[in-house]
Amino acid sequence: MRRALVYGLAALVGLLVIAAFAFVLLQPIQVLPRIRLAPAWVLRDREGRLVSNEDLRGQIVLYTFTYTRCRPPCPQPDRTMQAIYRRLAAADLGDVPVTLMTISFDVAHDSPAVLKAYAAAWGAEDDRWRFAVGTDPQRLKTVIGEGFQVYYQPREDGRFDFDPVYILVDGWGIIRREYRYRTLTPDVDRIVRHIGVLAEEVQNSRGAARLAYEAAHLFLCYAP
Amino acid sequence: MKTRRLLIAALLLVLVLMAGGWPVANRWRPHTFHGMVIQSPQPAPDFTLTTHQGQRLSLSDLRGRLVVLYFGYTFCPDVCPTTLSEWARAMRLLGPKADRVQVIMITVDPARDTAEKLGAYLAHFDPRFIGLVGTEDEIARIATLYGIYYQKHEDGGENYLVDHTATQTAIDQEGYIKLVFPFGTKAEDIADDLAYMLR
Repeated sequence: MRRALVYGLAALVGLLVIAAFAFVLLQPIQVLPRIRLAPAWVLRDREGRLVSNEDLRGQIVLYTFTYTRCRPPCPQPDRTMQAIYRRLAAADLGDVPVTLMTISFDVAHDSPAVLKAYAAAWGAEDDRWRFAVGTDPQRLKTVIGEGFQVYYQPREDGRFDFDPVYILVDGWGIIRREYRYRTLTPDVDRIVRHIGVLAEEVQNSRGAARLAYEAAHLFLCYAP
Repeated sequence: MKTRRLLIAALLLVLVLMAGGWPVANRWRPHTFHGMVIQSPQPAPDFTLTTHQGQRLSLSDLRGRLVVLYFGYTFCPDVCPTTLSEWARAMRLLGPKADRVQVIMITVDPARDTAEKLGAYLAHFDPRFIGLVGTEDEIARIATLYGIYYQKHEDGGENYLVDHTATQTAIDQEGYIKLVFPFGTKAEDIADDLAYMLR
């Protein structure tokens, strides 16, 4: 009798272990890691309106940082943003809102009017792709440099040295993926796919399914 | 005889799975957090501010304790008192474990929230809570790095309101951000998560 009970318990533990292994190996659900908190910000958009991170709470946001006078050989991260903007227009993400956000660090030159012309040149027709700039260089440095951990430095000729970076933030304000030019080639396909993975998590991670998503986080089932 | 034993074993296995499986799985399953879990490889940004008792305090001074950061202000009409009441109740639910938790409120209204005012305000909720004050620039930097937006309403005269993010951030004993609680999280859920982190 006791031996049968031991066998039964052993079988139960075995089943749990096999289930855990199967989950890790087969990865039926993939997620993006919750890396760290994105910084807070209040900026002016191309219409001169104050806009903040709180206005975008609940939305998936892809950030990049640049300045409007960035011309080749300047890396022009908005070229990648433009491709993603076009791809997302045709993507089926359910009712999950996604916003692209270009933040300029050229406080002295990039007024809302300049941003507006710049946005039009890239074909950003609506608020699915927003452009904003700060008014206080010190505060902006705290947001971009310390918060998003993006390097940029003004040069004597008024232009900037900077590392092109794309940062994906979820509706909670948590950074879920960083694409840093010097370590990862910006890849439109991959970024769009990751936005899809995040949108799926937002849509499906409810009720009992939330347990499965939390298990995917626990077992590091991260989308490549 | 052998077949009968096998049948009994199979029957027992089914019974164990049915009767014992659920509590066992419940006991061994990973804790499901009520707050949003963050797996940051970087320590929480350190800072130094002044407590409501006038001492300088750094986040790193509290290493070894579970720290909860909340940004609010004493003139706050609804969100702050509601949140602090839930945290005070969560501390009571935690019992002796609450001695290893430090709830901190950083003012987002440094112009009106003096150290004395903040201390008196927090004592209404739980005398163990610490209030922190600092300069506009110090607080703006810390709030930015913790993802906390705040903006003063300029149209309210002296009785102005301050819009602010109402989440609460839990930092584990090693100094890493572990959880973010949204506004409205119940004390029972907070205590459940904190008790797990303090196990």
